[in-house]
Amino acid sequence: MSDADFDGTSVGEPVGFDEFGCNPYAKNPDTPDFLKPDVENTRQFYGFDLDLPGGEEIEIWSFRDPDARKGKTWPGPAIRVTAGQIVHTKVKANKGTHTIHLHGMDPTTFNDGVGHTSFEVNGNYIYQYQPMNPGTYFYHCHKNTTLHFEMGMYGLLLVDPVEGPGYALRAGVPVKYDVEANWVPDDLDPVWHELHHNAGLCGEDVGLNDFNPKYFVISGVPNNRTMKSRKVRVDATLGDKILVRVLAAAYGVTQVKIGLDAEVINVDGRVLGGPLAPWSQPFTIPADETFELTGAQRYDMLIDANEVGDFNVKFTFLDWIRRQVQANGAGVAETRIRVKA
Amino acid sequence: MLFYFASDADGGFAAPTLRVTQGDQLTVHVTNGASEPHGFSIPGAAGATIPSIAPGETLSATFTIPNGGSYFYLDPVNHPVFQVLGLHGVMVVAPAEPTTPAGVITPYSRDRQTLGANAVFESLGTNSPQMPDKFPGDPWIAEFGNPAPKHERIWVFNSIDPKFNLMAELGQPIDSTEFVETNLPRYFTLNGLSGFDASFDERTIPKGFEGEPSLLRVLNAGLPTFSPHIHGNHIFELSTTNATGEVVVNENVIERDTWTMAPGDRKDVLLPFDRPSDIPDAAWPPFEEPFPLKYPMHCHQEISQTAGGGNYPQGLITDWELEGPLSARS
Repeated sequence: MSDADFDGTSVGEPVGFDEFGCNPYAKNPDTPDFLKPDVENTRQFYGFDLDLPGGEEIEIWSFRDPDARKGKTWPGPAIRVTAGQIVHTKVKANKGTHTIHLHGMDPTTFNDGVGHTSFEVNGNYIYQYQPMNPGTYFYHCHKNTTLHFEMGMYGLLLVDPVEGPGYALRAGVPVKYDVEANWVPDDLDPVWHELHHNAGLCGEDVGLNDFNPKYFVISGVPNNRTMKSRKVRVDATLGDKILVRVLAAAYGVTQVKIGLDAEVINVDGRVLGGPLAPWSQPFTIPADETFELTGAQRYDMLIDANEVGDFNVKFTFLDWIRRQVQANGAGVAETRIRVKA
Repeated sequence: MLFYFASDADGGFAAPTLRVTQGDQLTVHVTNGASEPHGFSIPGAAGATIPSIAPGETLSATFTIPNGGSYFYLDPVNHPVFQVLGLHGVMVVAPAEPTTPAGVITPYSRDRQTLGANAVFESLGTNSPQMPDKFPGDPWIAEFGNPAPKHERIWVFNSIDPKFNLMAELGQPIDSTEFVETNLPRYFTLNGLSGFDASFDERTIPKGFEGEPSLLRVLNAGLPTFSPHIHGNHIFELSTTNATGEVVVNENVIERDTWTMAPGDRKDVLLPFDRPSDIPDAAWPPFEEPFPLKYPMHCHQEISQTAGGGNYPQGLITDWELEGPLSARS
């Protein structure tokens, strides 16, 4: 057991208007109800300049894994665990306070990474959780989230079924897949990327209600490179089963169109159908039919590579009020699934 | 300036919730206390429309109350201008025949029920006919006659661009196309509140112990497509509406942590008050960390988390509270 101390956090102190927003509690306490972990990982803030089409560079904030040789990526390095493992994710804050919210995980309040219900981290903290439901999740900073999430502070959190990577549950039954693709469509407003960490928190109008994205990425890759990037495009062989995960990271409506039939088997980390979910069932989105996701939703889809060819995948980013394609029609990112004989 | 519907029956409170029963005849008398024409309509309720009411005039509509579910009453004049400027409220309809064939109560009438939604309600509680081990505790407890039910919350979303409120205050006409095309909301509300206020509002926050499931009636009166995200539990997306505003119970009831609320959407979701699934077995119930466990519900189109161009998280957010484990219930 740890030396749990809730003083100086929203759990142990009253939360007034200031602590709710402008001035949340900041601390680096021990993890309460501390258990021996099966898996440990660490994430730390880092920033870099992203090269964009047309030569502009904008600042991106992401998470890095300080223990990995190639730990600086955007999106942040995926956390990949197996259902049932006790996981410890340590955030090491620098450049001001941050948190890690494990989006879709249902942990205790202290491990949920939200300042106004717990605390922001000004040193380090170990988030403790035991993922029980296989599927696609993500982690992100939950401080001044409007800005920090837009800046790029997110990474995937993948929970494999007990059969391990290479298997996904379809209606409760493990299905082996051959190829895995993770797509995180996002939109970037360069004006926001000039702001400082605490922009707007204490009363200033910094325009965080006025979002005009100009650049569009899939999994951190700008849309002039998404057709070719190995991070985005999918290469499969005839007969393969492909698992595609989509996380909608844009602030708006993201339309998705895939040139092959896709069967949705998991939404927001919950398996559709089977004996443990009699209220739902997997459903198929026919090839080239558009479906829509809004901010933070995830679909896990199985695609059968049962035809040779190049199949287009298109993400269209729509404004959240007018549903116009963002950036006067430029808000599109495309890639493809290539199926070889 | 905001417009609102008031009821003279309960002291003039803004936007009173109408709680009625499917199949009854209801007569609504509407007096226009403003200086320009307004109207009245309930999308999904045939005959519940008064196209225009002159200033000072009182008109009535009598109609048969439609299927069980959640409805908006609103001003359809100059749509969506007056609706977004505040002229909306909620009508909750108790179903005529709420039980499933297995005898479990739902918010929907037998002829509109689906196998998917029934499976959710039949799985709730220690004595559930479907899955006795899945959701220990109570089934969903319907309180159709109760004006302040414990196991239900209404969440109405809205957006405010104050430049149009100022135009209304000055008596200037507002063009509906311009209203939508140039709308840049600066405030985002939940039940007319935002941020700190919404997160401590007793009418808004779901509260309960493990095993006390709650129905959330979520309605979007505003212009944006919101993407509400709940921490701590996933919700079951129970119902939506069709093009004519009729309540449609979903066949495929999907568990989500983030659901979509387009303009005008009315969706019922069930918050199971389940033990948060990813708290380690060996740490449940928590020994050191105290109850209540508090979790936010906020829109993940994070633009909506602002007020006046900043001030995160003073936007469309509230909390819900898990007061204790099943074993601690009195």
